Amino acid sequence: MARTFLSSTFVIIGIGSVLLTGCSSDVTSEAPRQPSEQRSVVRLLTHESFALSETLIQSLEEQGIILEIQTAGDAGTMTSSAVLAAGAPTADLIFGVDNTLVSRAASEGVFAEYTSPELDKVLPEFQDQTSGGLVTPIDFGDVCINVDNSWFAEQGEQPPTSLEALPQFAKRLVVEDPATSSPGLAFVLATIARFGDSWTDYWTQLRDNGVSVAGSWTDAYYTQFTLSGGDRPLVVSYATSPAAEVLFAEDTTVTEPSTSSMTDSCYRQIEFAGVLAGASNPIGAQQVIDWLLSPDVQADIPVSMFVYPVRSDATLPQAFADFTPVVESSALLESDQVAKQLPEILRRWSEVMGR
Amino acid sequence: MTDSGLSTSNLVIGYSDSQPLHEPFNFRVTPGETLAILGPSGCGKSTLLATIAGITPVLSGDIFLNGARVNELPIHKRNIGLVFQDPLLFPHLSLIDNIAYGLRAHKVSRDRARVRATELLEWVGLAHVRNNRTWELSGGQAGRVALARAVAPKPEVLLFDEPFSALDSTTRIRLATEIAGLVRSQEIPAIHVTHDEQEAELVATQMMRM
Amino acid sequence: MTRERGALGNHAPVFVRHAWIAPLVFFSIFLLYPLLVLIRTAISADTLTALVNSGPWSIALLSTGQSLASVGLSLIIGIPIAGVLARYQFKGRALVLALMTVPFVLPTVVVALAFKSILGELLAPGLILVILAHAYINVAVVVRIVGAQWSALDPRHINVAQTLGANPFRVFRTLTLPNLKASILSSACIVFVFSFTSLGVVVILGDGSSTRTLEQSILRQTSVLLDFPGALASALIQLVIVTGALILAAKMRGATITLTHTHRTKVRGMRRSAWVYSIVILSALIVLTPLAGLVIGSFTSTQGMNFSSWVGVINAQDRFAGLGSPRAAVALTISLALITALIASAIGGLAAIAVMGRRTFIAAIALIPLGLSAATIGLGTLLAFGRPPIDLRSSGFLIPIAHALVAIPLVVAVASPALRTADSRRFFVASSLGASPARAWWTAYGTLLRTVMIAAGGLAGAVSLGEFGAASFLARADSPTVPVQIAKLLARPGDQAYTTAAVLSTILVVMTLALMLFIDRFSAQGRITVS
Repeated sequence: MARTFLSSTFVIIGIGSVLLTGCSSDVTSEAPRQPSEQRSVVRLLTHESFALSETLIQSLEEQGIILEIQTAGDAGTMTSSAVLAAGAPTADLIFGVDNTLVSRAASEGVFAEYTSPELDKVLPEFQDQTSGGLVTPIDFGDVCINVDNSWFAEQGEQPPTSLEALPQFAKRLVVEDPATSSPGLAFVLATIARFGDSWTDYWTQLRDNGVSVAGSWTDAYYTQFTLSGGDRPLVVSYATSPAAEVLFAEDTTVTEPSTSSMTDSCYRQIEFAGVLAGASNPIGAQQVIDWLLSPDVQADIPVSMFVYPVRSDATLPQAFADFTPVVESSALLESDQVAKQLPEILRRWSEVMGR
Repeated sequence: MTDSGLSTSNLVIGYSDSQPLHEPFNFRVTPGETLAILGPSGCGKSTLLATIAGITPVLSGDIFLNGARVNELPIHKRNIGLVFQDPLLFPHLSLIDNIAYGLRAHKVSRDRARVRATELLEWVGLAHVRNNRTWELSGGQAGRVALARAVAPKPEVLLFDEPFSALDSTTRIRLATEIAGLVRSQEIPAIHVTHDEQEAELVATQMMRM
Repeated sequence: MTRERGALGNHAPVFVRHAWIAPLVFFSIFLLYPLLVLIRTAISADTLTALVNSGPWSIALLSTGQSLASVGLSLIIGIPIAGVLARYQFKGRALVLALMTVPFVLPTVVVALAFKSILGELLAPGLILVILAHAYINVAVVVRIVGAQWSALDPRHINVAQTLGANPFRVFRTLTLPNLKASILSSACIVFVFSFTSLGVVVILGDGSSTRTLEQSILRQTSVLLDFPGALASALIQLVIVTGALILAAKMRGATITLTHTHRTKVRGMRRSAWVYSIVILSALIVLTPLAGLVIGSFTSTQGMNFSSWVGVINAQDRFAGLGSPRAAVALTISLALITALIASAIGGLAAIAVMGRRTFIAAIALIPLGLSAATIGLGTLLAFGRPPIDLRSSGFLIPIAHALVAIPLVVAVASPALRTADSRRFFVASSLGASPARAWWTAYGTLLRTVMIAAGGLAGAVSLGEFGAASFLARADSPTVPVQIAKLLARPGDQAYTTAAVLSTILVVMTLALMLFIDRFSAQGRITVS
């Protein structure tokens, strides 16, 4: 009796999962396999936020490259795993190393040299960002203070427009802990770029005036920001968040975001790709880097990953063009300087904030 | 002192969601007397004892203990000694602390309770195993400790639910004789449930068949 | 009735005497080898410096205090619930028991966010909020482990104590509690370890100073500073303290208790039912309140209540590039849970059998994963099996293995004490009737083993359902599990992402409930076969 019950339940579960997979396979609709002379598998190591349209990956397959995507946690943890495996990598190329960690990864021998022929199509300010020919810039974004304009309008208050004015609004602001959140760290670097050695005084002011520190972006944006029902109308987020608010609204009649970025507060984040040293398929890896810089992929990057393409001729979706044009005045610190000073920066920040 | 001892008046037992288990009970057990109850298993003997002890609620009728109605009195305030078929010794306590348990619950100091427990252990003839753990005793020894434990707080009524029926007949008869002696000498009213005629006749001053 | 009744010594059949081999091989390959690879890669002279540095030790001290408080609160809340669920039979009992497990299984990010949305306005992030959340998540551990032992206590013991004059409180203090010592210690120990190694909760609900954990330092050291020697030092200190706690608890565990078959009374009498039902309703409310926010969130959009997100998930609309279809993720998560349950109950069951035959070192090894972070296990597995010469990544085999490693300590914790309750005399009776050692062993332990393995395997499956850390390392980007999808969605702006995450979390809650109800139904059937 008991055994029958067990086996029948397993059968039900089994059928259930087969049905579920069965149904979903027609959704992901596999492309007809193209007979190709030399098909090669390329393994891409990336972070959990990586995303590109399914059709692009299929078109890559038509070129004879089967992309096998591996994720290893967030950007930092992914870089860690690449550094630990330097010389005997788990993949052929890596995408998503950012400018705070890239020089450190380069000095640990993670990358093999490669200069893409597409590099000259890239915006001039990114062309020399290659750590000496080891990495290729693919996309960039800005971390900025996001302002909930409708909240300020309801209160009849004027939102701040400069970093200097921000401390007066500290009790309306939520930031992220730089030790556990990448936008949190970017904002600390923005204050260092602006205020130099007196950046800790700036943070002392923020603290004394009641800034809130969240452990993660998710917490800051989804529980503390007024847009999501919290009580803080200023949040450290991404420059593209207002566009995402429109693109991914439940309510399709939303045509305009109620938030905007405070351009004076932005810090630039650049994401790089690189061939991994010791890769078993370096040629394929190089082809994938060229592909990442191709017009199609570059055009898909804003919609899929909410960041800006580095290619100078790439077109932005309308929502980006309308609400989050590229910030011209973003701060950027030298990568190897940041790498050297990072422990000290985090230590001093903790000291000031008592965290 | 006409009220002394245990009596029932139209006591109906059973579970609230089923038929009464038996005709109403009307009996009186005076101090020093033993009422032996005989009957096949499943007829409600154990439920009667559980009802008197307060474990199972009364359906209707009354229970009197030394003249006072105890229907609503919680178990721990009834001052009843209960011995089950299994000794049910507390495995985490020593033999002495098992016997002293009821005395401690009645606010007797630890030292005095242990002295009294040691006397009772001697009384049941087990002084030589006082340092054993509960699971190291034989069935008969464990039964004696259970008896000493039930008697220790000087209960006003003793209830035996087929005590020691798992034991061999010689041991059982000897223990039954000892119990009967104890009940008479301490002047405690007792009810003794059993399915063994010989055992019932040995202990009974009155007999009831269910 | 003796402590040694599980041991058969040389009478045991061959496969029982050699039960330790398979778990040892499994742990050597999939736990010890990756750990060694990780240590070999990360170790340097700086590790020693970091080990003698006061920093990680003071964090360890701080989070020991936090963990002890979390244990205390979990026990205070969990023990009465365990008692009611173990002692009484009433309608909806199985559902309440299943509900209690949900917070434990859900990804901590989801629980922490749900928790914050309820209590965030009353309490500032900090120690109190973290302790409350840890208790909320871990009450299930107390209820399951203590409840199992409690339902095995003979209620007549309590009747005897009451007739001797002990009031209910005294009975609880002097009789029930001492006889639950083993399970209370076991569960306290596991709650301690989970609170000590907590990450998601302390990141979202902590204040960054009084709530720090070593796990948080490891994240910072690996993900921001790329300070591997330091991370290794933190990981080693964490491992040492966790192992120490586990050994201490094993030493403190005293005599086993007298076990009889399970007996639950129907709830009778006004006062008692008021008492029982108020505990049941209160505990259900405690569990449900944060979850309710989640369910409501899944139906809410800027246009008010509607089903659009559910329709989106059910139709597998690919509204988020690179996320993968939610339905495929549900299917994948279920199959992973099944495979994990099979591996974990096979290896964990053999380990428990080996422990029964005095091979206790297996239990010690089986508990190591409790002291390791999911990231450590994921990273080690990746380095050991994610590149030539051994590349198992694309086989899809590594996730269930990693999940099994995380689940096996729980399987051993559940199975090992239960197997000890089996009466070895049955083995000798069967042998004397002419049964071969293997057959006699199966006669004595088979039914119990099957019941225990279903329960333990179900728990392992539940762990796999909600596991996020290791899966985020090892899953393929195009086929994520449900928890990984939830985490990805919660890292994006836009209210579609948020409601879709709420829908997936609700689905996860339902899957957990279904699994738990199934286990209860099945172990209840097993119990009837036993008695």
